[in-house]
Amino acid sequence: MSQRVLALTILSVFVATISVAGPAGVGAQSAWPTASVYAAADKDAANWILPARGYSGNRYVAGGQITAANVGTLKKAWTANVDARGPLETAPIVWNGTMYVTSSHNDVYALDAQTGAVKWHFPYKPHVIAFSANRGVALGDGKVYEATLDGHLIALDAATGKPVWNVVAAHDLSNTFYTMQPVPYKNMLLLGASNGDWGGIGYLSAFDAATGKRLWDWNAIPGPGEPGHNTWSGDSWKRGGGAIWSGLAIDPATETVYVDAGNPQPDFLGTIRKGTNLYTNSMIALDVSGAKPKLKWYHQFIPHDTHDWDPAMPPVLFTGTVNGASRNLVAAGDKGGNFWVLDAGTGAQVYRVAVSTQKGQNTEPNRKGNIACPNTNGGVEFNGGSYLRETNAFYVPSVDQCGIWKSQGTATYVSGQFYLGGAFPAQYGPSTGYMNAVDIGTGKFLWRKHLAYPQIGGALSTSTGVVFTGGVDGDFAAYDAKGGNVLWHYATGMTIQAPAATYVAGEKQFVVVAAGPAGVNFADPRFSKGAPTLEGKYSHPTSAVITAFTLP
Amino acid sequence: MRTIALSLVAVLVLGGAAPARSAPDDHAGAIAALADMRAAIAEIVRIEDGYAVGHAAYLRAAHRAMNALVGRRDDGYAASFGDPGDGVGTLGHLDRMLDQTGSSQWTPAVQGAKANVLAAAANLQSALGQKQMEDYQADLTRALASLALVAGRSTEGGVLGGLNGALANTSLAVPVGASVVSGCAAPKSAPAYGVVAGKLAYVALPRSAAATAIPAGLGVSRVELLGDTVVLYAPLARAAAASCSKVSRLQRTRVVARTSVPAPYVAAQAHAGIKVYARACLQCHGADLQGTAGPGVAGTDFLKNAQQNKWTLSELRTTIFENMPFSNPGSLTPKEYADVTAFLLAANCYPAGSTPFPATASPALKTVKLGPIPGVKPTNAKLGTCTVR
Repeated sequence: MSQRVLALTILSVFVATISVAGPAGVGAQSAWPTASVYAAADKDAANWILPARGYSGNRYVAGGQITAANVGTLKKAWTANVDARGPLETAPIVWNGTMYVTSSHNDVYALDAQTGAVKWHFPYKPHVIAFSANRGVALGDGKVYEATLDGHLIALDAATGKPVWNVVAAHDLSNTFYTMQPVPYKNMLLLGASNGDWGGIGYLSAFDAATGKRLWDWNAIPGPGEPGHNTWSGDSWKRGGGAIWSGLAIDPATETVYVDAGNPQPDFLGTIRKGTNLYTNSMIALDVSGAKPKLKWYHQFIPHDTHDWDPAMPPVLFTGTVNGASRNLVAAGDKGGNFWVLDAGTGAQVYRVAVSTQKGQNTEPNRKGNIACPNTNGGVEFNGGSYLRETNAFYVPSVDQCGIWKSQGTATYVSGQFYLGGAFPAQYGPSTGYMNAVDIGTGKFLWRKHLAYPQIGGALSTSTGVVFTGGVDGDFAAYDAKGGNVLWHYATGMTIQAPAATYVAGEKQFVVVAAGPAGVNFADPRFSKGAPTLEGKYSHPTSAVITAFTLP
Repeated sequence: MRTIALSLVAVLVLGGAAPARSAPDDHAGAIAALADMRAAIAEIVRIEDGYAVGHAAYLRAAHRAMNALVGRRDDGYAASFGDPGDGVGTLGHLDRMLDQTGSSQWTPAVQGAKANVLAAAANLQSALGQKQMEDYQADLTRALASLALVAGRSTEGGVLGGLNGALANTSLAVPVGASVVSGCAAPKSAPAYGVVAGKLAYVALPRSAAATAIPAGLGVSRVELLGDTVVLYAPLARAAAASCSKVSRLQRTRVVARTSVPAPYVAAQAHAGIKVYARACLQCHGADLQGTAGPGVAGTDFLKNAQQNKWTLSELRTTIFENMPFSNPGSLTPKEYADVTAFLLAANCYPAGSTPFPATASPALKTVKLGPIPGVKPTNAKLGTCTVR
């Protein structure tokens, strides 16, 4: 078995090397991204090799053909259909003219980045525990890596899409699944697990990128004898939550990983887990220079959360100007409607900005039911936002909803089921969204647009003055970074809950975004006949489509 | 001797195709009456499930269903719309069965079936006069409810009531020319029908033919192998045995405990749940119930996972009633939640029972463990799901 895998690996590397040696302009570049290529990915104009372009986690691009002046002429270049059994949340990976995307049920596609033509397709049929979603693949050494809904980590031959190895990566398959994009760092793949509403404990794992062997786990809930353990009453830490599921940022200079741990459990019943419940709802800075990660600092956003308001937004590292002084900062956002700016070196809070309606936040859910805002699916969601140096502003979409929460008297763990101690809130009142531009100099809004539908498409900003984002109504829009006017938009007719990316292929700059059926969180009753377009037309959201745009 | 628990053979009652017989015997009459009724139901279901536009298509469907039920000799028959039945109509067949001197064990069942056919026909007549789609649909739903009573009710041990009940439990099971023996004694030859005082005790079949020759309309509570003879006991075999004057073999036979297959819902609930599922669940759980944005909720994968995680019906209920639909939990009425849970049980091939799925929490649900159901034959073998009607 292992011999066969080894032989396949050698063969695949060989084939892959030949296949990419041809095109002009790549001769000087290595066949696949190496550690140094990854470290410089934030500045790679042609490719997009990490979920948010580079280790900073900031979807920002300097230069490019597309500008605020010409974005109004942007045209659809191509579309590619993928499996439509669930929402598309894939962050495309583009390397040397090939784009790698995933469907909600873990199908992987290699597309020609210039034409959208399918080069290969890897189908997969995972058992789904709760939600079907996948945020994309990682690339390295002739392999495409994907973490799956049934708790596996799979390496595919990047040239053919055939499996090279497949390991069971999650510890408890009854309550744990993967939606996160694995992040390559040196010889490792960093990956967090989704188990934070199903009675698990969050952990970040490092796997050997060559073999899939586990190198270490870092647990988000401190066990007996560890610092922070006394923030949990009794044995409540054992199913305390703190899932690490959205994304991470890395500062290669200091070998620091910035990552968020999610909400505590049972989500809505705080009385059986008294204390602040570390490190749930916290950003954690980990020193990963050694054999085991070491905690540098943590910042808990919402201590003892009882509303499932986890910091869904992946961290974004940036150097911004605060009160006239340049500072290394890290941004975060949570489903409680807060946008946070912290000092990247110490974790000290610089700003907290409310980007969604906030009400009733200090009342724990009771058995009768009480209203609080935002709703569990509200606030800042998992595609986060983007910092634009040229305006010293942070662009982050948000969801504005309220909910009615109910807790129960007890919480019983049943494997494979929600561990909530109550019920997910029923939506209360309207469901809308905002596109927010936060001035980092002052912590106040540069501008803010109230939109009819929730906004969870993240933000892609360009030095040429454009901010791209998509809403759950399927509208993909380009905003003027300075003033907030919509310069261009395109109605996909489906739901956008994936982030945009940009790259160069055939000497043209492309912008790409995925759109598909509404997921379980955004199955808006207004979509019963399909997502509306701004023109008021309806289409049936039964397809899942990758759409690339370019200038004429 | 080997006793095999085979409660679920009763499912065959629903699937058996009616053999075309010209002889005017009562057994064939009952089978033909049911065939006409199925044709009427098919017309109703087709128009309800379809997307027809315009008044005419709906009128036509109600007329055709009516024709199949009442037959061409009735005033309500409208030939221009066509007849999906055999022209005699369910009513015609039942009238012919009742039009004789004396009465049988099955006479009350056929009289009851006739009353329900008339009720269904009245509802169809009302539907023909409706202007609003909602009113039309309400009439059709009432007609379907009456027709469900005509057919009878499937239980764990077979089928009771209605025409299917009469076919499964009385001498109506016996086709013309078949060999009838005393149901008080074990069969000495096969094929043979064991009958006691008009009640069916068993059907004996040669072992070689048993796999293929199970008569249409038969309900089976228990199967026994006696040498080369397979004895299929009727659902009410014990009632038949009670009519025997002396202690019989049947009475000495202890009723073997069957694998308990829970049936905590009634068929009408599951039927009502179809529409709830389509409106509130289908978007995330899929038309084939295998999951799209959400997980699969029926079939082999679901039941195996449920078994692995030791889920009970109580946990399933909690998830559905309190956390679904995920985008707006608690937004259905208790009745809608109960209906859609019944629908999911039916789609998972749990047989319907006589107790409705409760709209409020019940401790009894904790005792029902979810998992693959032994011996059940899914409609969709690949997915392991059952079609809900």
